Amino acid sequence: MLKIIIPTIMLIPLTWMSKPNMIWINTTTYGLLISLISLFYLNQPNDNTLNSSLMFFSDSLSAPLLALTTWLLPLMLMASQHHLSKEPLTRKKLYISMLILLQLFLIMTFTASELIFFYILFEATLIPTLIIITRWGNQTERLNAGLYFLFYTLMGSLPLLVALLYIHNFMGSLNFLMIQYWIQPLPNSWSNIFLWLACMMAFMVKMPLYGLHLWLPKAHVEAPIAGSMVLAAVLLKLGGYGMMRITTLLNPLTNFMAYPFMMLSLWGMIMTSSICLRQTDLKSLIAYSSVSHMALVIVAVLIQTPWSYMGATALMIAHGLTSSMLFCLANSNYERIHSRTMILARGLQTLLPLMAAWWLLASLTNLALPPTINLIGELFVVMSSFSWSNITIILMGINITITALYSLYMLITTQRGKYSHHIKNIKPSFTRENALMTLHLLPLLLLSLNPKIILGPLY
Amino acid sequence: MAAGLLGLGARRLLAVAATRGLPVAHVRWESSSSRAVIAPSAVAGKRTPEPTVRWQEDPDPEDENLYEKNPDSHGYDKDPVVDLWNMRVVFFFGFSIVLVFGSTFVAYLPDYRCMGCPREWNGMQEWARREAERLVKYREANGLPIMESNCFDPSKIQLPEDED
Repeated sequence: MLKIIIPTIMLIPLTWMSKPNMIWINTTTYGLLISLISLFYLNQPNDNTLNSSLMFFSDSLSAPLLALTTWLLPLMLMASQHHLSKEPLTRKKLYISMLILLQLFLIMTFTASELIFFYILFEATLIPTLIIITRWGNQTERLNAGLYFLFYTLMGSLPLLVALLYIHNFMGSLNFLMIQYWIQPLPNSWSNIFLWLACMMAFMVKMPLYGLHLWLPKAHVEAPIAGSMVLAAVLLKLGGYGMMRITTLLNPLTNFMAYPFMMLSLWGMIMTSSICLRQTDLKSLIAYSSVSHMALVIVAVLIQTPWSYMGATALMIAHGLTSSMLFCLANSNYERIHSRTMILARGLQTLLPLMAAWWLLASLTNLALPPTINLIGELFVVMSSFSWSNITIILMGINITITALYSLYMLITTQRGKYSHHIKNIKPSFTRENALMTLHLLPLLLLSLNPKIILGPLY
Repeated sequence: MAAGLLGLGARRLLAVAATRGLPVAHVRWESSSSRAVIAPSAVAGKRTPEPTVRWQEDPDPEDENLYEKNPDSHGYDKDPVVDLWNMRVVFFFGFSIVLVFGSTFVAYLPDYRCMGCPREWNGMQEWARREAERLVKYREANGLPIMESNCFDPSKIQLPEDED
């Protein structure tokens, strides 16, 4: 694991000591090389885990998420280059350092083997994200957004700390690999119910679950592009990943404790998808679509069947790439017209046809078109929830329909039709933007050819 | 690299048109075969007058147009050399190294499931299929039966001697 962690740490001196016109080139280059190294962890030869050391291990669940995290850093750097071009040099370097610090914490979180270590880093990821949102966001609402983001997550995760300390006391160790073999069925008692709630609420808030999702539209919308990308692509998956790890300790309570959250998720995904149909703000639409997709992951993790876990893992990776790409596309609009309102920049297909191609592909992957991995994830989740309870197919079916509706609504509003008269003089697409979209899309399409690496440990 | 339908030349033209106005004709020419006339335009060289009311959707005058100074801009930086190198670095390391070598690495990963446990957890499926096809081909070519009813070769089994 050090072969990724040390280079990531060294990226920080690289930004501070590079020549001013080389900071972006150097960090992007080495970020891409680090992502190449992280692909080695995808070589998971058996059911067991690859243990790098006493503190770090990688599993077929954490390896794809690790690859996604390291792939995203160079993409975030490319996406931020334009809006930071007028900032003074020190602030640019500070921004890049925040991104690198966040990447470092995320790498360690996904590979932590001890649960308290995982918790510390889970909380630590909040700090660079908060700084990025509140310092470099564009509107005054960013302060409120940062507050919501910070305190929702903290409220959820304080009980998790208490629960982890209790479990450590009770079991003797919280090393994830060892407690897998020591766990006993959790008897049904009030204190164990509260233990279950304490463990799960942090991840429910992070995912987010429908009732606790208010921080997400605010944070995603107010964050600058790199902040939105990392929030949507990776930070949400922290919740899914944490839930999949911690549910091994909480059986068999999950069988009945999961019901309220299943109801909230099943209903919530339809609600948030419907909200997407009424959005005027482009980034807000993409944010609510993230809530909807993550609700599917919550359903999958709470059902706890092999197929649903495979679907959850595939959906996390697929949604990470798709959502990040949609935010990049929304940002390319925002940089030209300085507004997030969808109807202000419509009919873009005639003006920017190549960008329209990326919009089309991103919308198609968002609505889970076969044979992309988005479809594989959603299909596995739908099938396993059907076997859990037949009625869920109605709700899932409605959700898939509405997802298609709002994805196409977003595509048609921004791309089709006659362009509005005042955007005739927008600048043509930069190579940087096209490269960014391609770098999001190609891994997604390549994974459709070989999805077994993202199907997680139960494949 | 040229963005879609707009080639590099067309982009230069668009960039120039956005900043300096459309190119003009300097002399008057009348066609002899048709009634076409090319004349110096009355609005030649004049830029669109600054609007008296500024709307929110008008292009922000503080927005720098990267194409103005450098029509071949790739969108990374104002300095053309840094911009070019940034583009090259992204494409080389992003596509040629990571995507190509990474995909090759992933494509040639060994059989993913449970190498150590063939039957119980559905491991080594792809290897098993390839090995079976290879053996069938070999046995058919050499006239051997495809499958024998003995799992092990009976001549190699050494039984302990009968003891009374």
